[in-house]
Amino acid sequence: MRIAAPQVRVGLVLALLVALHFVVRPRLGDPRFAPDFVLVALLFFATRVRPMAGTIAGFLVGLVTDAVAPTAFGSAAVALTVIGYLSGWLKAVVFADNLLVNALFVLVAAWARDAIGVLVAHQLEGGALGWQLLVLSPLAAASTAAAAVVTLLLFRGWLRQSAT
Amino acid sequence: MAPGSDRYASRADTAAFLVCLVLSLVALALPAGLKEPIAGALRRTVLLPVLAVQRQAVASGVARERLATVRSERDSLVLETTFLPELRAENDRLRALLGLAARLGRGFATAAVLHQAGVADGLTLVLSAGREEGVEQFAPVVAARGVLGLVRTVDPHTSVALAWTHPDFRASAMVEGTTVYGIVRARRGERSGELMELIGVPYREQLVPGTRVVTSGLGGVFPRGIPLGTVQGIMTEATGWERTYVLQPVVHPSEAAHVIILSPARAADTLQAAFGGRRTAADSVLLVRDSAGVRIVRPPPPPPRRWPRQAAPPPQQPAPPTPPSGAPPRLHL
Repeated sequence: MRIAAPQVRVGLVLALLVALHFVVRPRLGDPRFAPDFVLVALLFFATRVRPMAGTIAGFLVGLVTDAVAPTAFGSAAVALTVIGYLSGWLKAVVFADNLLVNALFVLVAAWARDAIGVLVAHQLEGGALGWQLLVLSPLAAASTAAAAVVTLLLFRGWLRQSAT
Repeated sequence: MAPGSDRYASRADTAAFLVCLVLSLVALALPAGLKEPIAGALRRTVLLPVLAVQRQAVASGVARERLATVRSERDSLVLETTFLPELRAENDRLRALLGLAARLGRGFATAAVLHQAGVADGLTLVLSAGREEGVEQFAPVVAARGVLGLVRTVDPHTSVALAWTHPDFRASAMVEGTTVYGIVRARRGERSGELMELIGVPYREQLVPGTRVVTSGLGGVFPRGIPLGTVQGIMTEATGWERTYVLQPVVHPSEAAHVIILSPARAADTLQAAFGGRRTAADSVLLVRDSAGVRIVRPPPPPPRRWPRQAAPPPQQPAPPTPPSGAPPRLHL
């Protein structure tokens, strides 16, 4: 089956990532270190659209994410709004179509999402906050970056075409 | 989702960002009483399908884990069930051996049979007791039910026994409770090693199937009264001279896991009672109730045993030309 429209291709990859998040992620062991496929999808989306669309997508995804953690309701929305906006802006300024740069970008974005979310939610402090930001979040960000790299390797043609 | 030509943030982008950020902060600042209804509404609408998928995924993972657990438990149970009869049999053998050891009282060593791979397995037994444990050459090796063989070579901590299945094995035997004597050896022929032969039985003596044959105590190796086997039937007979009977052994070397090695010093003893032979008066006690109360009284000792070489020969009977009715069946093995 030949899929011509780049938007459709990117849409399929994003849908696949969202599906993976809810079907595969629960089976990947400790959720603290499992890759966040929705975040990868958001980053891929945000780097291919204007910052406004990325911002709105980030806000909506964050709101939905907050729905399953109502004690910190709004923290993920803040974090992903910022990440969505900055992704679109940053990509336009410095981005190159390089696998390593993409991986680094996802790594930093995932860690920044965690950092913003944790700080805004204000639920951790002291050693627990340090442990979360310096150990758990980097590990989770690394696994998310790895998932992004795998996705890019598998669908690089589709994703590159849509970006041009 | 069209790629924008201008990727730098415009005022509209910045405005959208600020609006979303403010909305997020408002959501964050909402009182708990309002957060939960909004979150619940999102879970019941937007998140309903994805949560259902996630729940199914989790349930599927849990089911797979439980299946693996159940499978491993089932395999463990199957494995335990497989070994259960063997463990029960070993338990029974050990209990029987313990009972025999208690009845023997002294002059023996216990040993485990070390299985050996090869053609010699079943003909010789490697035992886990040797000179250091008091084992001597030609010591009788018995199981709880009867004779297994005799020790041929002794090492410091192991010994090698000749099982009764070995072609060189011989034991002087007698029919329990009678003065009929013979020699027991492994049966030669196609079923060698599964049955015994009682050779040299006088022609005038007829043994019925099921008759128990025990060691006679002659020869200075095996004590008297250890079971060897039971008569199955006549194998051959030399007219007017002797008969050879086929015996079903009471114990086969392949069944033995633990054995008792008797001291040669006990060769002169009679172990009939230890192996569940016919009880004699010496084994019995009397319960006497009198004015002094109830007490146990041993009956007077029996008269001395008449050894065969001292026994008067039984009256000669003419050999019947044909076996009478009720005679043991002739076996064609």
